[in-house]
Amino acid sequence: MRKLDRLGWAEAITFESFGVRFRVRADDAAALARLAGLLPPGSSPAPCGEVERLYSVRTGGEARRGLRRFKLLYADDALVARTAEAEELFERFESDLQLAVAESARGRVFVHAGVVGWRGRAVLLPGRSFAGKTTLTAELLRAGASYYSDEFAVLDARGRVHPYAKPLAVRVEGGRQRKVAPGEFGGCAACGPLPVGLVVVSEFREGARFRPRVLSKGLGSLALLANAIPARRRPAAVLETLARVADGATFLRGARGEAAEAARRILETAS
Amino acid sequence: MRKRMVEPGPLARAEGLVVRELGGEVLVYDLGTHTALCLNAAAAAVWRLCDGRRTAADIARALAAAAGGDVSEEFVWLALERLGREGLLAARVRRPSPLACVSRREMMRRVGLAAALALPAVVAIVAPTPAQAASLLGSGAGCSDGAQCQSGICNGGQCV
Repeated sequence: MRKLDRLGWAEAITFESFGVRFRVRADDAAALARLAGLLPPGSSPAPCGEVERLYSVRTGGEARRGLRRFKLLYADDALVARTAEAEELFERFESDLQLAVAESARGRVFVHAGVVGWRGRAVLLPGRSFAGKTTLTAELLRAGASYYSDEFAVLDARGRVHPYAKPLAVRVEGGRQRKVAPGEFGGCAACGPLPVGLVVVSEFREGARFRPRVLSKGLGSLALLANAIPARRRPAAVLETLARVADGATFLRGARGEAAEAARRILETAS
Repeated sequence: MRKRMVEPGPLARAEGLVVRELGGEVLVYDLGTHTALCLNAAAAAVWRLCDGRRTAADIARALAAAAGGDVSEEFVWLALERLGREGLLAARVRRPSPLACVSRREMMRRVGLAAALALPAVVAIVAPTPAQAASLLGSGAGCSDGAQCQSGICNGGQCV
């Protein structure tokens, strides 16, 4: 860490997100401005002082002929990314920061899931990356649902879900992501926390018809726990929160084919 | 006069577990192995009665009294074996000699078709690390269903 501290740093920002404090420093003001635009929803500036995690970004300056300049990202003293592409560095920063927030958030349990609101209740679509959450979330927005998140269900101690409304990360060729505003899918913005009405555990299967079966509350909670970021760090709080969710929610599981058909069925069930 | 040794009854493990009741089911988190388990109503009912004093026969009688019907000892042993395998008993239990050589399939047959609809079941998953919770598992990794696998296919608890 001391070695890193001795390097020249142009500027730094300190911010708080879900009760967790972070600092980001960079050797270039333009890079820092870009990084500041990638902070999680609900982040706010914080005074300097102790932080949970310090990110250090070296952009390497101008490339010189015959010399490859790598861009480096550190979280505390651990190297997180070493890449020639600035965009890749920014993506890694954003995902690492989101995960750190999700793991350490005070009073909230983050579950990897797409979330929409429908008639005063939330619909959760738990699943990991590449499970098709964003596709199904987008389809639900097209059908008139309100947007909460395509990444995390942020649950409070009462089992209600809060908005985590960042742009949808739509996968494009090469596995990279394109940020799309929820409005492009016709979805309206979320307003306030909602109780969870429906949890749909589904995986994409080519040509499958969506005929989900009802899961027991225990098995449904287990499916949520399999996607809960702080499961190992705060198991008691996670179990308690998921049990609160289960109290008022119905759980469905099944393979889905076309997202549009699944979205229609989901909203029919949630109505 | 020789004292007769009394085999202790099955005892539910309490240390190192986080337990949450959920209707008739029970969610358990094992802090040592980071395994999360869901006990269905039948398994949970047996587990609650494992106080170290009751024998399997006593547990069967207590369940029968609560349910108002017949509950066989084989039914209790099916649950005890599963609970023991998942580390939910203070010590693994062994079936008594008349049942020791009976296969699990035979035990299920003896339990009967009606009871089979509510056989004791325990579903277990390994709780994910933060990084795992945010990504799909690669080929060969342990999983509990296809939604966790990059391939989308879970084959006997392993991603294809």
